[in-house]
Amino acid sequence: MSEAAMQNRLFIPRSCLTTEGNKTGSWRFLRPRYEDKTAPCAAGCPAGEDIPKIEMLTAQGFFKEAWETILQENPFPAVCGRVCFHPCEGSCNRGEYDDSVAVHTLERFLSDTAARYDFRPSFARLPSRKERISVVGAGPAGLAAAWFLTLLGYSCDVFEASPEAGGVLRWGIPAYRLPADALRQDLRRFEREGIRIFTRRPMDRQFFAEAAGRYQAVILACGHGRGQSLSIPGEMEVGVIEGLDFLRMIRASEMAVGGGTEAVIVNGAGCGRSMDTLGEGEAAAEGSEFPGKIGEGALSSFDGLTAVIGGGNTAVDVARSVIRLGGKAVICYRRRRQDMPAFADEVRMALEEGVALEELVSPATAGRDGEEIVLSLRQMIVAGMEGSGRARVIPDGDKMKEVRVRRVIRATGAGPEESWMLPAVEGTKVLALSHCRLVSGEGKLVVVYAGDLANATKSVAHAIASGKEAAIALNALLREGSEAVIPRLQACAVGDGPALSMEVCLGGERRLRSRHIVSYTEINTDHFGFAPRITQPRLLVEERVRSFAEIDLKISAGLAMKEAERCFNCGLCNGCDKCWLYCPDVAVIREGEARRIHYDYCKGCGICVVECPRNAMSLGEGEGEG
Amino acid sequence: MRRVIEGSHAVAEAVRLARVQVTSAYPITPQTHIVEILSEYCEKGALKARFLRMESEHSCLAALIGAQLMGVRTFTATSSQGLAYMHELLHWAAGARLPIVMAEVNRALAPGWNIWTDQTDSLSQRDTGWIQLYCEDGQEVLDSTLLAFRLAETVNLPVMVVLDAFYLSHTYEPVDIPTEEEADRFLPPYAPRFRMDTAEPCSFGALVPPGDYMEMRHDMALAMEDALMQLVEIEGEFTRIFGRRHGPIEAIDCNDAEIILVTSGTITSTARLVVRTLRERGEKIGLLKIRLFRPFPAAILRETIGRAKKVAVIDRNCSFGAGGIFAQELRAALCNLDPRPLIYGYIAGLGGRDVTPEVIEEIYRRTQSTDRPEAEGVWIGLREAL
Repeated sequence: MSEAAMQNRLFIPRSCLTTEGNKTGSWRFLRPRYEDKTAPCAAGCPAGEDIPKIEMLTAQGFFKEAWETILQENPFPAVCGRVCFHPCEGSCNRGEYDDSVAVHTLERFLSDTAARYDFRPSFARLPSRKERISVVGAGPAGLAAAWFLTLLGYSCDVFEASPEAGGVLRWGIPAYRLPADALRQDLRRFEREGIRIFTRRPMDRQFFAEAAGRYQAVILACGHGRGQSLSIPGEMEVGVIEGLDFLRMIRASEMAVGGGTEAVIVNGAGCGRSMDTLGEGEAAAEGSEFPGKIGEGALSSFDGLTAVIGGGNTAVDVARSVIRLGGKAVICYRRRRQDMPAFADEVRMALEEGVALEELVSPATAGRDGEEIVLSLRQMIVAGMEGSGRARVIPDGDKMKEVRVRRVIRATGAGPEESWMLPAVEGTKVLALSHCRLVSGEGKLVVVYAGDLANATKSVAHAIASGKEAAIALNALLREGSEAVIPRLQACAVGDGPALSMEVCLGGERRLRSRHIVSYTEINTDHFGFAPRITQPRLLVEERVRSFAEIDLKISAGLAMKEAERCFNCGLCNGCDKCWLYCPDVAVIREGEARRIHYDYCKGCGICVVECPRNAMSLGEGEGEG
Repeated sequence: MRRVIEGSHAVAEAVRLARVQVTSAYPITPQTHIVEILSEYCEKGALKARFLRMESEHSCLAALIGAQLMGVRTFTATSSQGLAYMHELLHWAAGARLPIVMAEVNRALAPGWNIWTDQTDSLSQRDTGWIQLYCEDGQEVLDSTLLAFRLAETVNLPVMVVLDAFYLSHTYEPVDIPTEEEADRFLPPYAPRFRMDTAEPCSFGALVPPGDYMEMRHDMALAMEDALMQLVEIEGEFTRIFGRRHGPIEAIDCNDAEIILVTSGTITSTARLVVRTLRERGEKIGLLKIRLFRPFPAAILRETIGRAKKVAVIDRNCSFGAGGIFAQELRAALCNLDPRPLIYGYIAGLGGRDVTPEVIEEIYRRTQSTDRPEAEGVWIGLREAL
């Protein structure tokens, strides 16, 4: 037997001393650090919602906290969970991996959950200030402005011409997309926060004189409520109906009976008494007796074909409402389907429900033939593209087309009720911002034009963005002067802007995030697996066309959490601890929810930064704060 | 119980009987059958082991290094490129003195891409500190694998059990499979001499300065030397239980032989036939099979074949620029003898080419008819220039 065997020797490198004496941090020349960044969805959301955080909290089952995170940037989760066109999903990094996260559906889920458990949110709010602000128009822009100004410490009075607040949310968008109860769910919080809304208070120029004494500023957000004429021969004679009036009249019926929309509308009875009580202008649907007839119950059925002129969301809303009233509808649009400004999903559902689409036609004349209207349409052809990506169309020679319909409803755009509501275009005291316009010329009263009056894109999300921008800009103006407005807005920008964050404005943690927008290539997809996107459950098409009942159905908490787990949480540490797991030097220290790097031992290999699935870490030179 | 099974299956049976606790796997032909069977055993509960599916052979061995350090018995299997990929960790496992057991199915290295048998893959790992056993048939595969655990755990060095691709790994032969009770009697549960324990935290394998490193390496060298005697001793116990002995080498008709063939692996079986035939014709031929390559049993070889006139080594491998590897080792082992036999090196059967009785007889005749070796390594059976 050999020497080793006899001695039974085993001489190996084993040390029971701590390795802490070996401060490998001295080797470091690159330094990793935790650095939350900006997710593309958050920057793509006009309201600047902190979407990666919302989805992180949802995935963890913190529904109330997730819902409060929405509320920090947007006072309308129940509304936006239903009608927002969700540009966030279009910029979702996960879209490049398998399919974007269903942010819209999850927002709806959180608002449903908040309603179900009657969550009472807590807010960061600045101390009260002496200035009082009046807001004209209780639509999404005006209400958002009032909401954010309230958080900034101002007391706000909102004046609304209609008998109920909500603007387009209450009177324009059909109930099958946005039921009145859902809107009220969001509106109740305004009252709780002490915002006074005065309804049936139409605006006139006199108001400004009175306001000057009582308020320091007026937010003018009265929207585009007046439809534009077709300007064709015969329009007045045949009685072309204005689409917004038509929608408003249907929504008014909900007031009279308090729900039960389906029965009332289909029977066409007893639904319009309230027309008299609506603000002035509503009943003045030019050249048409039609709304009045429905109101009086004289029109008991809605049979025959209705032509709807236009290609925006109002046109689609009108056509789908016609179907629900028992009629037939054809949308006549001067460009092609893919050029329609209406949301593609809405167009698709309209066609499913039996709405016909006549593309590349433009109304030329209208004439009456007994009970029918003869609408002659000029045929159009595509002649190149516009900068916006839509087709440019011109008449196709003299080619004409004729349709015979029972009625014509136009939805070809809208403008303000009164011309003086249009904001001043320029001037030394005019500050034109991305979503609103500040005019500080008329005496001491500052006027801020917001919402449709100042927004290029007329969407609910953009209206909220406008209200938030108006509030932050006005606050800067009142506190620090006009020079401070632009820098203050820039300081609150989400990513590159123009989306703004109220949380940042109020000094919340979100201000610590880097402005860098995380790209798909910065996501470490090795840590994710393919997972199918949730499908929004909806009423069957057969059920949809029979009533104005809401189409989109609720989803369960289990499904919502599963969908939220698909979120990459771009740029936001969610405590997954991949950094801790992969660090070869055990230099990642976990302290409760927080993570930090022990720089005595971090030798700067950068593995943690590479392995971070969501780019919530950065590697750089220098020895700055970790 | 005797059953007709594949060579791969014989490995798996031994691993099952050894009650391995952690096994790691990455597929590579011709090894894959081994881990396939083990995965079935793990699933059925016939083997209560954690079966780790890794993303590479490098990780396969890394995982076992971690597992073995925790004080459990481990096993993996690989071939060719997979073994080459493990190279760094082969050194680590040995240096850390971890008694890991691996089945290595000899397969040629690419390019050209070739999945057939060739010993260059395992022989090019000869300096890593692993004990290497080359097997001739299915029974020897099973016995060597079972024995490997006992040997490894005795000397604290890892063991590579080597078998030829297809000729052995995929060939069905009758194999006597011991019962669990017999196996347990031979191989007690693993009793690690050191292990990681969170109750007593230690670091292993850390920096060792020049003042200590050499002593650690010397310890490894002593352990490797010791392995030869340990093998003999452990095989004695193996023989008492199972009635079989394979030995570090096997000598057939060597006592009076003038020319001795030296082989390893499955070529040995063919050579047995040739030797028997030529002996019947009165030729003074002998055969020496080398089973234990590391540690190289130099002293036993000197005793066994030192008196022959000529030794012809058949190598199914090549160290380019130095001929066959077994031949080199043998030259080195015999060079200080006086007188000493002439060593004839032959290279045959690379990349799975068949080494037939005719090829072996040609080697014998060529050795017989030349006074001195023609070259360091003579290539046998090459086709005419293409």
